[in-house]
Parts: sequence; structure tokens; C-alpha cells
Amino acid sequence: MAEFSAEVFQNEFLSDGATDVHAVVSVTCTGAGAGGGAGVSTGGPGGVAEIVAVDTSGSMQGRNMEAAKHAAAVAVDQIPDGTLFAIVGGSHVATRIFPYPNARVPMVAMELGARNEAKRAISTMSASGGTAISSWLRLADDLFATVPAAQKHLILLTDGKNESEPTMHLDRMIADVTGHFQCDARGVGDRWVVEELRKISTALLGTVDLIARPEDIAEDFSALVRKSMARGVAAVDLRVWAPQGSEVLFVKQVAPEVDDLTGRRTQVNALTSGYPTGAWADETREYHVAVRVPAKPVGSEQLAARVQVAVGDEVTASGLVKAKWSDDSTLTARISPEVAHYTGQAELASAIQEGLAAKAAGDEATATVKLGRAVQLAAETGNDDATSRLRKIVEVDNEEAGTVRLKRNTAKLDEMALDTASTKTTRVRRA
Amino acid sequence: MSADDSSLVRCPSCGENAAPRARFCENCGTPLGSSGASVPSEVTLEMAPTVVDPDPATGDTSGRRSCGACGGTIAPDGYCADCGTPGQSERDHFEERPAEWVAGVCDRGVRHPRNEDAMALATSGTFAALVVCDGVSSAPDSDVASLAASRAARDVLVAYGPEGASSVVGATSRRIAGWTDAMVAASRAAGQAVRGAAEQLAATKGKDVADDPPSCTFVAAVVDHDLIVAGWLGDSRVYWLPDSGQPDSAQPEQLSVDDSWAQEMIAAGVPRAQAETSPQAHAITRWLGPDAPDTDARCAATVPSGPGWLLVCSDGLWNYCSDAHEMSDLVRRFATSGDPHTTAAALVRWANAQGGRDNITAALARVSPTVTEQR
Repeated sequence: MAEFSAEVFQNEFLSDGATDVHAVVSVTCTGAGAGGGAGVSTGGPGGVAEIVAVDTSGSMQGRNMEAAKHAAAVAVDQIPDGTLFAIVGGSHVATRIFPYPNARVPMVAMELGARNEAKRAISTMSASGGTAISSWLRLADDLFATVPAAQKHLILLTDGKNESEPTMHLDRMIADVTGHFQCDARGVGDRWVVEELRKISTALLGTVDLIARPEDIAEDFSALVRKSMARGVAAVDLRVWAPQGSEVLFVKQVAPEVDDLTGRRTQVNALTSGYPTGAWADETREYHVAVRVPAKPVGSEQLAARVQVAVGDEVTASGLVKAKWSDDSTLTARISPEVAHYTGQAELASAIQEGLAAKAAGDEATATVKLGRAVQLAAETGNDDATSRLRKIVEVDNEEAGTVRLKRNTAKLDEMALDTASTKTTRVRRA
Repeated sequence: MSADDSSLVRCPSCGENAAPRARFCENCGTPLGSSGASVPSEVTLEMAPTVVDPDPATGDTSGRRSCGACGGTIAPDGYCADCGTPGQSERDHFEERPAEWVAGVCDRGVRHPRNEDAMALATSGTFAALVVCDGVSSAPDSDVASLAASRAARDVLVAYGPEGASSVVGATSRRIAGWTDAMVAASRAAGQAVRGAAEQLAATKGKDVADDPPSCTFVAAVVDHDLIVAGWLGDSRVYWLPDSGQPDSAQPEQLSVDDSWAQEMIAAGVPRAQAETSPQAHAITRWLGPDAPDTDARCAATVPSGPGWLLVCSDGLWNYCSDAHEMSDLVRRFATSGDPHTTAAALVRWANAQGGRDNITAALARVSPTVTEQR
């Protein structure tokens, strides 16, 4: 049986008249078990459903297509017996590759025969047509809708821009399928658009990543399937209770990746908001919660938030965020190291994204300032991976001051790698 | 109040002199000393004794606890489910209402981490005993001492009451003498109770009772039909606040005379406002405790000529409203319903709104001599 625990890091002391309470809540899941297995405590039908959607548009022709087919076959090998699965080929339309379009059932349980037949079907895929990702999501959603699995996971691979449909179509489709399944999106090569896939993976509680070389796709798929299967707890909500008269300023996941949950708020009751976090394996995720409460007199104490982990309707862990007003500046001036660290990491992510966007738009002045700030923040927060990725894009004159020059003739792949990894955070070092 | 005014420590915030080892400034509530400033709450939480709710109405100490701030329910995590205010322990906030005309509220206030005030009330017909003790916050466990003292004193006063073993009876002058004896007996019993509690606490902690002994003030008022008698040690007070529209002789007055440094200054001619705001104003010259030189209450009596409010309170209230006329106005402002319970609660809320720098206790009796004669 999965167990959750929540630990709160904050400086609960506020100066006289202060209203904003910040805390980092570290949520850890243990004993999650295998996907769809004993760890699922939601009741109802358990099980896992997995769909692999591979780009079959004309641009995939050649090495990419062959690598993608190989990767899909590897993924099929990794999907454990008993898991419901399907393979989708996507271009300007989506096609069910396996089960074959004429099959009676839209998804089948994995077993030896199905595995071999699926690989044969994958080998027949060929590249042609445009790219309309909304149609892939629609088909995946239709297929998932036919099965009672508690966990539904889509792996989506593309190599190009979503060019065969208006952006609006994709946005609307993302909104339509949000909450139905989770999706990890992968881009191969340097002709896809990070922002497009990030939109999908963020809304569908997954990750976005760049696969620079086609031969790495198989390994990545295999890891994604394993990770998905390790998620033994199907649907977990983060709940934030805040007192009457207060306002939740934001709720952000800050580790292992920055993901602003604020906009995904659902109302649980008058004082409690819910934020879906998808399925969980044995892991730790950290959240930065900020609440604005009315100031109270010095000496008063106030509970500013209850941060709860809910599996289904059951609250399985709870952390208390407190506020204590004090006129002792040695107490109130402290900033929690966790809050400071993740505030910096979140700012780092937006500085990178804004810097790259400015660079792409030809606004070199803004790009220089933003990426300079990013270099500074990466150094301050000890994010060495971000530092080395940034150094491929900018010449650093002074790391501490954040003064940089944009490099000429940088590789597109380096920029995309920096962009996709921008939300990855380092954890705060705890004594 | 500081039981010991030698080798004083100065509060870094307001300049008030505090007793050695005092954990909080008596004047402004600022934590004192290095150990107190860093982690006051954790330490005191562990030390907070569990005292059952003396609520006479229900006697219920378990089950639903309601929030003192908004009336919501206190969740199992100890905070209000609606407004997030910390739930108060029964020791932090309790109310008594032994009769429709007598009630009191005892509250932790805002600044202090626990409630070292205590209160014990009793009534019987037209008799009432109201006892308030204010624990000296420079000594640990004063909350235990004050509760033991107030209850012991109340029980003695009840024994002198109409249904007691040694009823005070007779003409007014005889009853004044009788109640003066009763007051002294009550304050001595309260002193014994503090000593007993101190010895018990010292034994459980394996410490010497003379080392940092708990102590508290004592103030009591008895309403015996047409007579009011007050007794005190320290600076908790009794006010008699007659309703307006009575002869000029019926003025609001403070029946008790503080045993405090400020009072000695006033007696020596220093203006009240100046004396009460001086750094040592809160140092008390008499108290209950193992180290108290004597525990005999000083007494004063009055025979009301008409209806009014009898107020027994700790300095957590009167610090914000010392003068008897001002106190009279304040009580009248909140007493529109004529109910002592809602009025006492309103006085406590008001003191908290002023900053709640100390524990607050307000006990009220609605005295109406003509009405009580008909009962």
C-alpha cells in the first residue's frame, strides 16, 4: 500500500503587517508498487493502458522513421503482459496501427502473440503526409475511453512542427483531453517546436524532452514505459486549504521540474483547491505554495495553509503552513533556504525560456539580459547542468554579475536542449 | 508583575524592568533572554499542563472544540477548519457562568504563549464569590499555581457562604468583619494551594521548591446580599461600578489597592498615569507563593446604594483601562444586554484588540440590591 508523507519547509515568522506566507512542501510516496497493482487505492477498475503514438508524416522519411519504428518495437517489448495497449501512427490524420484497424477491440492486453503481431504492424509503418497532432490526441483519447484502466499513459513522438492545422485546434484538443490521460512528449531532431510539445506535456501531466539522435529514441521509450509502469498510484491530487479571507497566490511544483499548477485549480470545497498531479511512483516532488492572509497583530499565530495529498477522495498526508507575526527582526528576516532555492530555480526556468524566445524573435538586448540573469541564477542555485547548457549559447563575462554576450552560430539543438531542460531543477541541499 | 525586583533585567523592546530569569516582558510580552527568543513556542508547548475545562454548563471536555475567533470547528490538527486560528486549550481560554448574574472569561491574550491567569466563581442565591489569580510569568508553572490558588480560595469563601459550614450572618458591620476573616482564610488557603502545587511540581521535576517557585496574585470579591467585600494581594483588581443616575456618592471606584511599586509611587504623590507607565510599574510587592512573606489578604468593603457592576479582573484588562471612571464607561459600553457573560467576553475581546499583551481575566457580577431582596 502506497504511503505519502508531507514535510513543510518555511520561515513561519512574519513581520508586523506582512501578509504573504511562502512554504516549500516536500511530498514523498513510498510503497507505490507496480502500475495498476496493489498500490492503487482508488478502488474501481485498476490496470494500466499504454499508447505509443509515432509521427508518420513525410518529414520522418528515412533515418527518423526507421529509428522510431525500432523504438516503438522496443517499447512494445517493455510493456508488461496484461497491460492494455495500442500503437498509433500520426500525420495530418491519425491511424490505429495496432490493434489493426479492422480489429474488433480498440486496445488489447499484452501477451506474446499480441507483442509479435504489434511489432509486425509497426514494421509496416511508412512516412507520408503532414502533421496535425490534435488528431493523434483525439484518437488516443477515443481508444483510452474504451478501457476501464485506472492509469492511462501516452508516449508521443514527433520530429516536426504542428503545421497542418491552426494552433487553435491543438489548444482546444489539449483542453478537451486534459484529465483523461497523461502524456510524455518527445521531439527528435531540431525541426520541432519545444513550446508546442511543452503545451501538451504540461497540460497532460507529463514531460517534454529532446532526443537529439534518432538512435537514442529506443532507449528513451524503454525508460518511459518502465517509468510509467512503476507508477503504482493512479491519480493523486494536491489539495491546498487556505483560511477564510485569504488568497492562494500560486501553487507550483518546483522539483524535479518546475510546473505551475495554479491554473489547474479545481474547487474541492469553499476553502480548499485541488490540483491534479497524475500518477505517482516511489518518488519525491516538491511544491512551492504561497498564500496571502490578512495581517494579524504581533504575537498572533495563524494557520496559512493545509497542504494535503489526496488519493481519490482520501487525504493521505497533510502538511501545515503557519504564520506567526513577530516584531523580532532576527526571526522575520530569515528566508527559508528551500523557499529561496526554488524561487531562484523557478526564476531560472522563466529567464531561460524568455531569453530564448527573445533571441528567436531577434531581440538581442532582451535575450542578453534574460540569459545573463539565467547564468547568474544557475550559479547561485548550483544548477550545474543549466550552467553548462547556457554556456553553449552565451559567452559568460562575469557569472556573478550575470554579464554575458550571445554566441554567434549556435547549434539549434543546443538551444532546444536548453529550452526543454529549463524546467528541470536541482534539489536544495539539506544538511 | 515581577515577584523579585532585585537585579532587574531590562526589556529590549520597551525598557520595562523584568525579573531575572523572566521569559517574557510583563509590559509588552517581548520574549526575554537568548533561550526565550529563539524557540519560545516549542518549549512552552511541552511544558503546558493539561488542565480540564472547568466549564460548569456542560462539564464536557471532549468532542467538538470551537474556534475562539470565528466559532468554527477546531480540526484534529489543532487549527480552526475555517479561519486557521490555533485552537485554544481549555486552560488557554475558559469561561464560567455559575448563575445568570455572575460570569467570567479567562483568556491567554495575544502575546503570552500560555494562560497563567486563573479564575474560580461560585454562587448561591444572592451570594457570589469571584476569585482571580494572575500567575507571575517570570516563574515557570505559575499557570498551575494560579488555578490551584483560585479554586482553593473559592472553596473557602463558599464555606463561609449561606450554604457553607461557617456562614457569615448578622448585621452589616458584623458581616463585614466576618467576610474580612473569610478573605484572609481564603488567601491563606490559596497560598497553601500554591505551595502544595509548587512542591508537587518540584518533586516531579526533581528540583528544589525554592528554585524558581511559582507564584501568583490573588483577588477576590464576595457579594453577600447588600454587601460587597474585596480582598487582595498583588495588582489584580476589584472595581465597583454603580449604574448612572444614582446619587453623587455612588461613583465608580476601585475597591482594591494594588500592592505594587506603582501604587507606592502614587501614595508618595506621583501622578497615577506617570507611575503606571514607569518601567517598574508592574513590580508587585505582595503575592502568593512559597517565597511570599505573608499571605493575608488586605480587605475593603462597600454597601452599594443601587444597582451596578462588580468587576474582578487581572492587569491584562486594566492595563488598557486603569481609571475607575474609564472602566465604568467601558463596561457600560459592552453591557447593553445586561448579561455578565457576554459582557465579560466582550471585555476580553476588547483587551485582545488593544494588543492582548498579557493574559486577560474579567469576572462580572450584576448586583441589583433591590431586585435581590425580592428573591
